[in-house]
Amino acid sequence: MAKLKLASYWAAACGGCDVAILDVHEKILDIAAAADIVFWPIATDFKYSDVEAMPDADIDVTLFHGAIRNSENEHLARLLRAKSKILVAFGSCAHIGGIPGLANLFSREDILKRVYLETPSTVNPEKITPDPRTAVPEGEITIPVFHDAVRPLNQVVEVDYYVPGCPPTPAQIWNVVQAIVSGQLPEKGSVVGASEKTQCDECTRKKQEKKISGFKRIATVQPDPDTCFLEQGFLCMGPVTRGGCDTRCQLSGVGCRGCYGPPPGVLDQGAKALSAITSVIESKEEADVQRIVDQIPDVLRSFNRFAIPASLITRKVL
Amino acid sequence: MKRISIDPITRLEGHGKIEIFLDDDGRVANCYFQVPELRGFEKFVEGMPIEEVPRVVSRICGV
Repeated sequence: MAKLKLASYWAAACGGCDVAILDVHEKILDIAAAADIVFWPIATDFKYSDVEAMPDADIDVTLFHGAIRNSENEHLARLLRAKSKILVAFGSCAHIGGIPGLANLFSREDILKRVYLETPSTVNPEKITPDPRTAVPEGEITIPVFHDAVRPLNQVVEVDYYVPGCPPTPAQIWNVVQAIVSGQLPEKGSVVGASEKTQCDECTRKKQEKKISGFKRIATVQPDPDTCFLEQGFLCMGPVTRGGCDTRCQLSGVGCRGCYGPPPGVLDQGAKALSAITSVIESKEEADVQRIVDQIPDVLRSFNRFAIPASLITRKVL
Repeated sequence: MKRISIDPITRLEGHGKIEIFLDDDGRVANCYFQVPELRGFEKFVEGMPIEEVPRVVSRICGV
């Protein structure tokens, strides 16, 4: 059998997805035996021009991580879509926007101003901010255009499969690789490398009845190590997050923040969190409910930590 | 003036490109290192509860 052609690319990302792929350890040798890497910037020296020179649909599978933040990300998304038979949105950023998507709560101008003019460590007396085109004595140099908002991959190009997680766990990555190599991928559009249950279904912490009489912060109160975070009043996105990561945050002593995205059947993870978590507040008195809700730390960025660009409203309307 | 573009720089964390300009004798006249990426952590962590910040800024670089 001919070897598969495999590509892996990072758009607006941290590189953690690439490292998660390498975290399959010695199994990377099995991947190398089954597939030739034709483009992988973190590990190999292929250039954008090499990808542009490929015939369309030449790559069998592209694992695309990172969100679409700027014009270069969008160009590479379109380019790799054209060059790939199967395009996989790999990791939270490509799947639902991820951490870079938090920027959708601010305007493009506010971000540039903060980063290049205001931070205490910035020294920029000439008040230079990034310009897509800059004239230099030798000619012109360019950088990508910083878009108004962050988008997940499927808002830019057609996506064949989704692998959730920030990052996806190596065990799940290996499952996905095996499915690809054996040609046993499910129906197009499926989420792969995750479970069909919620985090709560897979969490081993003791659960009784969820009744929240107040919210606490781990910065000020030590949680019990064996009891459900929500039942103790600590925020946890477990009820509204897809399982499959072996509840690694809950096992590490912190509540889930939702990186595996919404479970099957849920369109808007943040809206579902608002509904699910506030519905277990132990009071019917409006003033009391308001007092308890006000204790939730940073509601918007807690309930929508990873999924703002994939939510129904996608961004703060400015 | 001859121009050589190295795009992207590879085998490191993050995005970068290098533009090299050569003079008529083929010697490097000037070169520019460019970082074509920005996500804006400096802005979007403002006002976040302090115990949440490590869980967010650990995604600046995952390598």
